[in-house]
Amino acid sequence: MIAAGEWGLLCLALAAGAAAAGAWCAVAGIPEAGMVAAAGAGIDPDRLLLVPGLGGNWPHAVASLLDGVDLVLLRPPSAPSAQARRVLEAALRRHRAVLLVAGDWAGARVRLRVVTREWTGIGSGHGLLRACRIRVVADGRGEWSRPRARWLWLPGSDGEVASGEVASGGEIASRAIAAG
Amino acid sequence: MTGTPGFTGRTLAVRCPAWDAAGTSAGWASDPERGPRARAFEPVVRAMQEFCPQVEVLRPGLAASEARGPARYFGGEAVLADKVAKAVARLGFACGIGVADGLFTALVAAQDSLAGGQGGRPGFPGAGPGPLGAGPGPLGTCSVIVPPGQAPAFLAPRPVAILGEPELAELLARLGVGTVGDLAALPAAEVEARFGLAGLRAHRLARGLDPRPLTPRPPAADLSVQAEFDPPAEQAEQVIFAAKSLASRMHARLAANGLACVRVRVEVILADGREVTRLWRHDGLLTDLAVADRVRWQLDGWLSGSRATGGPGGGPGGDGEAALGGVTLLRLVPGQLARERGRQLGLWGDEVVNGRVARAALRLQAMLGHGAVLRPVLIGGRGPADRVMLVPFGDEPEPAPPADRPWPGQIPPPAPATVYPEPRPARVTGRSGVLVTVTGRGQVSAEPAMLSVEGGPSRAITAWTGPWPVTERWWDPARACRKARFQLVTVDGDAWLAVVQDGRWLIEARYD
Repeated sequence: MIAAGEWGLLCLALAAGAAAAGAWCAVAGIPEAGMVAAAGAGIDPDRLLLVPGLGGNWPHAVASLLDGVDLVLLRPPSAPSAQARRVLEAALRRHRAVLLVAGDWAGARVRLRVVTREWTGIGSGHGLLRACRIRVVADGRGEWSRPRARWLWLPGSDGEVASGEVASGGEIASRAIAAG
Repeated sequence: MTGTPGFTGRTLAVRCPAWDAAGTSAGWASDPERGPRARAFEPVVRAMQEFCPQVEVLRPGLAASEARGPARYFGGEAVLADKVAKAVARLGFACGIGVADGLFTALVAAQDSLAGGQGGRPGFPGAGPGPLGAGPGPLGTCSVIVPPGQAPAFLAPRPVAILGEPELAELLARLGVGTVGDLAALPAAEVEARFGLAGLRAHRLARGLDPRPLTPRPPAADLSVQAEFDPPAEQAEQVIFAAKSLASRMHARLAANGLACVRVRVEVILADGREVTRLWRHDGLLTDLAVADRVRWQLDGWLSGSRATGGPGGGPGGDGEAALGGVTLLRLVPGQLARERGRQLGLWGDEVVNGRVARAALRLQAMLGHGAVLRPVLIGGRGPADRVMLVPFGDEPEPAPPADRPWPGQIPPPAPATVYPEPRPARVTGRSGVLVTVTGRGQVSAEPAMLSVEGGPSRAITAWTGPWPVTERWWDPARACRKARFQLVTVDGDAWLAVVQDGRWLIEARYD
């Protein structure tokens, strides 16, 4: 269970990092998710389900989804009730699945958010968006109670996540997943 | 032509001579009679229905049924024939029973069994009375069973007159084609050329085939199955139980026609007139239980949906125990019929879509609708939205331009993470506050300086690039479009993909 602030490439990169080869992912409640970007981040589009609209009883729909896939990238349509949260967290434990929330989630072990973005490669009337250096702040409970910040290249100039400082994005993701 | 569809596999025919005034096997093609004589045959049909669920009355005195299922249930065709014969005999009627491939052969066998029971015509050597029906049964009843594949040999020694075309039979006899076997030995094309459709039909019968070849795509309505509930079924379990036997009937019908269905439509009609209909992928792969599962999911989905609209407090985990408010009708309609070619692989191959994923996806489709669960297919195109085709789970993607060709004017990577399904209207103004436009020659009227998305607050543009003019499908006036794309970076660090079309700015995507 990871809360990744808001929807963006960071979510996709985290999902790609968390989903092992051959794992199925689902993107739920995010109709505007860019599939080309998802493929670029390393998510296999052949093993991806999209559920743009989750209907009125969205925790039920997400629990059903967790039955089948290994990772669900979810933007909750509304703040979940405490009961719905418990149901989903139980489903996560039961299926050993990962829920990546593009938004806030009360009680998440790790919360990631992008605080700064700096694009390179683009000028005034020339160039191209090429890469972005982002500052990600991670905080949460337990070992994550002290906020940590990292600079990452996301996307990097070669389309990959690269370290903009010391720790690599993959390391952040894997540590976040190990904790969550 | 015959009024007797179906019965392409093993068929059990019952002939009661009490109604058999004409006494010729040609009579089976005539229309069933109506009236008191027909009603007197009703008890015989009911007796047959004790053993065979789908009895078709060909005419009074003559009835047939599919034999495979009942025979499997009762432990063999001979046992089944014996049980039917005894049941009819208890009513006080003599009858002859034949079991064979196809209706025509079964009827001839039934006629034989009558004659055999009366000590008349010697039976077909390979087809003697069944082990249990050995010898004349009660009231002179015994059955003749023609083993599978033996129909042509069984028919061969008989006169062509039994084929039910008197004029043709007379002509054939004068030509020296005296027996059914002689006719069957002639090439089909020659028979058709010389004797026309009647000849072809007789020839097919002579070879132990159905009188006409199967139409590859019979109307779907003929194959639908339904169950009515009176009083309305209150429990989901009751409906699901019925669904299993319905599915088994549907599969048997499809198999009898050599067909597989790609989809099955499950229609549930409720007592208050509402209808809950869903299409399920079938691909000829589902078992009876799997179809019943889908009915269960559909009911579950509908229940949880109605709970969700009734009040947000409804928790997840719908169970079939909740009251449905009464189901009056359950109908299964197989759709997109195709010839059965053995077991067909799923669309993406079993190794990609495993059962767990498919179950979850189908469950969600039951809850939210067929189009609510999608799979992305990357295709060729220029804009970020053009490069993805969304296909409902279980459907085949339509042919699309391939992704691995060069697309001049394609937006170079990185790809935006947010692609708006509907582009958002925006305003891009220059330093003077005037809307920025692009000339036909690809020149901007002013440097973009401010961006406002959907009437939101204006943000300063710190960097921009473009325009990249795109003229798509100029050869097709209806679909042609001219636009120019820009990448914009605003002061808050957001990067946007914007497009100008007909003097309007739209935000297609956001890089975030």
